[in-house]
Amino acid sequence: MLANYLIGLREGLEAALVVSILVAYLVKSDRRHLLSRIWLGVAAAVLVSLGFGALLTFGPRGLTFEAQELIGGGLSIVAVGFVTWMVFWMARTARGLGGELRGRIDAASEGSAWGLVLVAVLAVGREGLETALFLWATSRATSSDGGSTWTPLLGAVLGLATAVVLGWLIYRGAISINLSTFFTWTGAFLVVVAAGVLAYGIHDLQEARFLPGLHDLAFDVSHIVDPNTWYAALLKGIFNFTPQTTVLQAIAWVAYVVPVLTLFLVGARRRIRPAAPASPSLATTTPSKDAR
Amino acid sequence: MTLRHLTAVALLVSALAACTSNSPSGDAKGDERTIAVTSTDDGCEVSTAEVPEGALTFKVKNAGTKVTEFYLLGEDGLRIVGEVENIGPDLARDLVVNVPAGSYTTACKPGMVGEGIRADFTVATSKGSTVAAGDQATVAQAEKNYAAYVKDQSDQLLTKTTTFVDLYEAGKDDEARELYAQARVHWERIETVAESFGDLDPKMDAREADLEPGQKWTGWHRIEKDLWPQEAKDYTPLTDAERTTFGDDLLKNTKTLDSRIQKMSFTVDQIANGSRGLLEEVATGKVTGEEEAWSHTDLWDFQANVDGAKVGYDGVRPILMDNGNSALARQLDSRFAELQDLLDEHKKGDGFVSYTDLSKDEVKELSDAVNALSEPLSKLTAAVV
Repeated sequence: MLANYLIGLREGLEAALVVSILVAYLVKSDRRHLLSRIWLGVAAAVLVSLGFGALLTFGPRGLTFEAQELIGGGLSIVAVGFVTWMVFWMARTARGLGGELRGRIDAASEGSAWGLVLVAVLAVGREGLETALFLWATSRATSSDGGSTWTPLLGAVLGLATAVVLGWLIYRGAISINLSTFFTWTGAFLVVVAAGVLAYGIHDLQEARFLPGLHDLAFDVSHIVDPNTWYAALLKGIFNFTPQTTVLQAIAWVAYVVPVLTLFLVGARRRIRPAAPASPSLATTTPSKDAR
Repeated sequence: MTLRHLTAVALLVSALAACTSNSPSGDAKGDERTIAVTSTDDGCEVSTAEVPEGALTFKVKNAGTKVTEFYLLGEDGLRIVGEVENIGPDLARDLVVNVPAGSYTTACKPGMVGEGIRADFTVATSKGSTVAAGDQATVAQAEKNYAAYVKDQSDQLLTKTTTFVDLYEAGKDDEARELYAQARVHWERIETVAESFGDLDPKMDAREADLEPGQKWTGWHRIEKDLWPQEAKDYTPLTDAERTTFGDDLLKNTKTLDSRIQKMSFTVDQIANGSRGLLEEVATGKVTGEEEAWSHTDLWDFQANVDGAKVGYDGVRPILMDNGNSALARQLDSRFAELQDLLDEHKKGDGFVSYTDLSKDEVKELSDAVNALSEPLSKLTAAVV
């Protein structure tokens, strides 16, 4: 029960975090009109994952191991690109909080809106297939397939639900702090999350032998951080921290975090210092596109 | 933007292309390419150890209390052929892989840590069954015992190397010299296994005389020269910082070696070959005094090589008897004993006399005894497989 609960929590956590931060940002920066699209993207990703998982579980065809790893690894690396873009987009648009200016930014960045949707889709869909396969396995255990028991399914669903609740709590917390603080912290946090996703993707590709060096470990703390514990599940779920990390994973992590975080924090500091109060200029009132 | 879309689409399309047929589900017994695996907290039950090549389906059931993973690994125990993760308690998940004929390793990993519970797995070209050499139970026992011996020696090597490196780096040279040969004994007993790792052996056991051009000299013998510099010409002792560098490097490689050895298994022919290989080590390095050029502790290594060879031989000896090769067994028994008697003559305290104390005649005597044992030992592999 607990073990399956932790798997559900672990698999659901990262998606819940990314989506809740994204939603909090849109709410805070007064772009609620984009929320419906985000939820649509999330729902689509969930349904596609579940459908694809069901097809592979119960259908006539399975997926080869290499293909599964390639999808996981490939999507991870694409997701990193999008999350990175979102962090900088948030930072850039956070400046345009004066109503007019912002309206113009939004009008000019319809493409960005779809980009955000894609972030949500990737956050959910990246591990969606693995999670779906796991969920279908738990549901199959409830059927008459020998071990007729419904506790695994309950555990898995409760774990996913906990991830959603944690995401919601992050959202509640996030919308109550001031915006510049909010996006500096969440931005930095997302950079670290994205680095974890990158390292994870690298590991997948190493397992599929698409990349070498699966057995060259940078460190192994599996005797200290037992992966069966709740904190290990949290570490893996949030930061994709694995007790056994390969050299290539570590290099990729550092090579991503150092420049991106530096760029982001330098930019954030530059933006916070002027602390320009949002003064809606009444001179040019262009009709805003988005009806509010 | 669109490019990214395309990437995602391309991934999905390639995913669909990478599909493989699920075997007919339902009755597992009906299909010889379906393997039932039951993973418990301390066991990994694989319904069959040999299947015909093709698309295999491992139906992995977790009957334990911890989350488990199942791997199909290559013969080296490193390459992942297929894996299925996140198998919670009471769950069953399938691994479908296309597997060409060859030797593989199955592994359940309850608790998601460590090397997993491993077993050999054979994928055969045709449906012919292999003829078992000797009694299968005897073979399995021999393989198990030998693996346990190698792992134990490797653990002891790590323990003593740790102490040795500490002493050496702390400048306690007398104590380090004392421990040098005693620690190396564990290396020499399993030298053929240790040498099988081509990336570690040159870093750990290279002799100065055998260095390739441009190869950096590290490991045991580099430190040996620093501890016994008396016969070296124009030798500059290592600084404390250099000692730390070489010491830490040796320890790091010993740790890597130990972690790799812990997941090794050995077949009967490997054991027999290893036994022969250890005797060759004696003939080419120890009996000539080339191995320990500075410390002259060659006889310790000599004895350790013989120990390892004897353990390997003793392990497969019952198979020899099963195969009706008792004559070879008797010959080997007596040759081992003769060599041991000779070695005993040079014992001194817990160890041996320095190689430099041996007369030319004594060296020749030892060399003859080694050759007398090597000859029947070279027939061992063919006799046990």
